[in-house]
Amino acid sequence: MMDFFAFLEQLWIARFVILNGLSVTVSISLLAIVFGSIAGVFVGLVLTYGSLPLRFVVRGYIDIVRGTPVLVLVLASYYVSSAVGFDLGPFAAGVLALAIFCSSHVGEIVRGGLQAIPIGQTEAAKAIGLTFSQTFANVLWPQALRQFLPTWVNTAAEMVKASTLLSVIGVAELLLRTQEIISRNFMSLQFYFFAGLLYFVVNFAIERFGKYVERKTAVPT
Amino acid sequence: MTNSFRTGVLILAAATFLSAVPAMSQQTSKLDEVLARGHLILGTGSTNAPWHFKSADDKLQGFDVDMGRIVAKALFGDPDKIEYVNQSSDARIPNITTDKVDLTCQFMTVTGERAQQVAFTIPYYREGVGLMLKEGGQYADYEALKAAGSSVTISVLQNVYAETMVHAALPEANVDQYDSVDLIYQALESGRADAAATDQSSLAWYMTQNPGRYKDAGYGWNPQTYACGVKRGDQDWLNFVNTALHEAMTGVEFDFYATSYKTWFGKELAPPQIGFPVEYK
Repeated sequence: MMDFFAFLEQLWIARFVILNGLSVTVSISLLAIVFGSIAGVFVGLVLTYGSLPLRFVVRGYIDIVRGTPVLVLVLASYYVSSAVGFDLGPFAAGVLALAIFCSSHVGEIVRGGLQAIPIGQTEAAKAIGLTFSQTFANVLWPQALRQFLPTWVNTAAEMVKASTLLSVIGVAELLLRTQEIISRNFMSLQFYFFAGLLYFVVNFAIERFGKYVERKTAVPT
Repeated sequence: MTNSFRTGVLILAAATFLSAVPAMSQQTSKLDEVLARGHLILGTGSTNAPWHFKSADDKLQGFDVDMGRIVAKALFGDPDKIEYVNQSSDARIPNITTDKVDLTCQFMTVTGERAQQVAFTIPYYREGVGLMLKEGGQYADYEALKAAGSSVTISVLQNVYAETMVHAALPEANVDQYDSVDLIYQALESGRADAAATDQSSLAWYMTQNPGRYKDAGYGWNPQTYACGVKRGDQDWLNFVNTALHEAMTGVEFDFYATSYKTWFGKELAPPQIGFPVEYK
């Protein structure tokens, strides 16, 4: 019991530091998910409808990124950026690495979602005189969205977890902040557990949000 | 003019010319760059007391940090003119070689391999492994531990060479390995271990934090030198940092160094002897 009060006292002392770390984790994940998803949708479109050479290039991009550990992407975006002249700070380099990683996953998800739609739908749309962009916006995209939402939520949660790797390049996210606190008060188990709880809360919120969007986009019955 | 004399002059002239070329391209030393910028970019970590860690009000502090502050004071007369780059231990050398930092002070052990990649400054601390005992416990000091042979248990951080390391000092002792530093202290506190073995600086810090409860067994081994690192090939900058550190340990900034030493390692330093320079003893 004494120990628990000692932990609460340390937690109170470190409250702003933890909140700060949490906000960095959330904002870096959010930026990575937003940019990664936008880029990923384009990647998915190119993979499904692009010309052969374009598809070839984008396929190469996806395979390289997905075949590389996130940690390597993080280190590369931090060190390679400074080697080629535009010096990214740790935060920007972290967002870039995670966004690239996210885009490759979202790209595959979008491609899968679009290709799962039977070709007859496109043919039917053509038959009633819709242009390609009308077909895409009104027929294909809404159906694909329902297909890939669950997997997309999963990718978003992955991004939050991958953000812990950014402590290597000195981004003061939640995990690094937790380690800083532990190095001062030696309460490793308690603070790691607390950090784990916070990560769970963030990912649980993402999952709930995903469920909400799924409900909103579901076919009315 | 003899032939050999003429050759000599030629060689001398060529040598002067050749050495002048890199000297001219070196005109912008990191030293000028830092002075023009107005602050020092220091690479260090934030998760190892008492070297580099955060205070309760989230300020970076520690002995490594103070070494950087000494350099900043030498540069600008103000130890606070520092921009910190928070880096993990793995990032120490890459951040130097890619110019992310001007200087790294992060309990970096000097080794031949590392010295091929970065230029080390003069040392500012010598680390070693030590043994911590409970105050008023069964064993008084290192001699008592050694005499007790296989009936003592030592708690130590989990490591491939942990057993070998302990047996170098206490050949017959039992070795219990633990996952983290707080656990080896807990083992000592709860009586599972008779002594804890880890870096002397970590022990000293823990003893300062818990006065009167623990004591040093009075034996150190496994020496390793800590020095700051800068990018290779900039002698001017290296000289400057060396001068700043050197004068902090022997000259005008000795009080700065000694205060920091007292704060983080809990020991008073005797001021350098006046008169014949200590360096030549």
